[in-house]
Amino acid sequence: MIRLAYFARELWHNLRRNTGTALASLLSLTLLFLLFDLFWISAGTVDKFYRDLLSELRVEVFVDESVTDDRLTQVFDQFLAIDGVLDYEYVSRDAARSRLADMVGADLLVGYDESNPLPRSYVLTVAESYLNSTALARMEEALREVDGLSEIHYSRQWLDKTEGTRAIILEIGLALGVLIVAAALVGSANNIRLMTRAQAVGFRQMLLQGAGRFFVAMPYLIESLLISGLAAILGWALIFYGRTRMSIVRIEIVFPPTSEIVLFCIGVALLGAVSGYLGLRKMLRD
Amino acid sequence: MKEPVVELTDIHLRAERGGFVFRGLNLTIESGQSAVIIGPSGSGKSTLAELLIGLRSADQGRVCLFGRELKKNRQFRRVRRLIGGVGGPFALVPSLTVAENICLPLVLNAEPRNVQRERLFRILSEFSLLKLAGKYPDHLTRVENTLVQFARAAIADQPLMLIDEPSAGLDPANYQRVTEFLVRMAVSGRSLLILASQTPPGDIPGSRAYFLRNEVLE
Repeated sequence: MIRLAYFARELWHNLRRNTGTALASLLSLTLLFLLFDLFWISAGTVDKFYRDLLSELRVEVFVDESVTDDRLTQVFDQFLAIDGVLDYEYVSRDAARSRLADMVGADLLVGYDESNPLPRSYVLTVAESYLNSTALARMEEALREVDGLSEIHYSRQWLDKTEGTRAIILEIGLALGVLIVAAALVGSANNIRLMTRAQAVGFRQMLLQGAGRFFVAMPYLIESLLISGLAAILGWALIFYGRTRMSIVRIEIVFPPTSEIVLFCIGVALLGAVSGYLGLRKMLRD
Repeated sequence: MKEPVVELTDIHLRAERGGFVFRGLNLTIESGQSAVIIGPSGSGKSTLAELLIGLRSADQGRVCLFGRELKKNRQFRRVRRLIGGVGGPFALVPSLTVAENICLPLVLNAEPRNVQRERLFRILSEFSLLKLAGKYPDHLTRVENTLVQFARAAIADQPLMLIDEPSAGLDPANYQRVTEFLVRMAVSGRSLLILASQTPPGDIPGSRAYFLRNEVLE
């Protein structure tokens, strides 16, 4: 308790002595974390957008002309045995013609009333975890082993592009995360170094009086922890304030769950304490 | 038999410019006993103080404090709380007020606040420092600074007091007060290690005088 009171008093003294440095540190960290938060939200929003698009992806398989209608039941059974196939919908020649008529108009189909050249097909609903190029390629291989299917079709190119875009977003996110962590660490450590530069004599004397390094460093570690944590909270506060002022309704903006935001703020605060220690470590050597 | 508070055995320490600072130095101070080490400027008195608090390490020999042989910085850090220091390597913490500086050993020992207050008031009164309690070291005169260091060294009843040049910065009147204070400390059973250029005028009870000459104590 005595020590806590000492830490609190020293913390207050430090902040009063170095108000400008502390404020500059708080603002620059807030800006950094705000940037990170915005990217986090953008990445989440884009990811949700792609997941929604992917959920509409269907795999179409066309039945060979040689397969008679009474053999179709056997084909149905084989679909359901394939991993990732949740459901299927059978599209008969007539249904296909009707769909085509809906799409292009009945006029273009004049003359094809008696003979319908459209193939019979199945539209497969695929589980969400299988909506990626690797799993779909495996599924395609399994489908090719099913007797009586002539062609398998899904939007491979679109899927590849989607996955490429998501990978780029992830890579940028990682790079940005590393950059921001490094900038926060260096900035915060430098801030503590600046604050403690004039305290070298005092630190040495405290160590000579028998103070542990932890004891000497503690007020600065707390300060660094508080500034970083506060910067993270301020960053989110600005974003949530902005959210209340926004009127975009076309795109659903995806915010991270509250638990993740809380964890982020705690993590950032701890990161601040670590950077504070890095800033102090040379000063605490005997 | 009383356990030695300080035990230096066969200490050898080379000087940075060549030659030796200590060559086979031995010193034992039993608990409750004191030692006054007299030597001219540059004879190695401050180096001896630094050796005892772990700021320098001997090239050869054993440094034992409070019955423990100390080799690593970590070990020295543990025993520093048992040493009250004045002068030489010891100074006041510039960012703390006089009262905070004096109370620092008590804070480090996590003494209750009422004990801190009571002892602080007693010590401030004893050294006539009450008016200076809220001042920072930058605003003190040299005499006041030395008195505050004595007050800090006295407050926590540490078993060993290490005083480098007790007369430094003190006028005759204050030096007399400090000498009386040291006598009281010695009588109360604390061990004093006084490093001085000249023989102190007062007689410290239970003390033994050594002369630091030719890199050894005589």
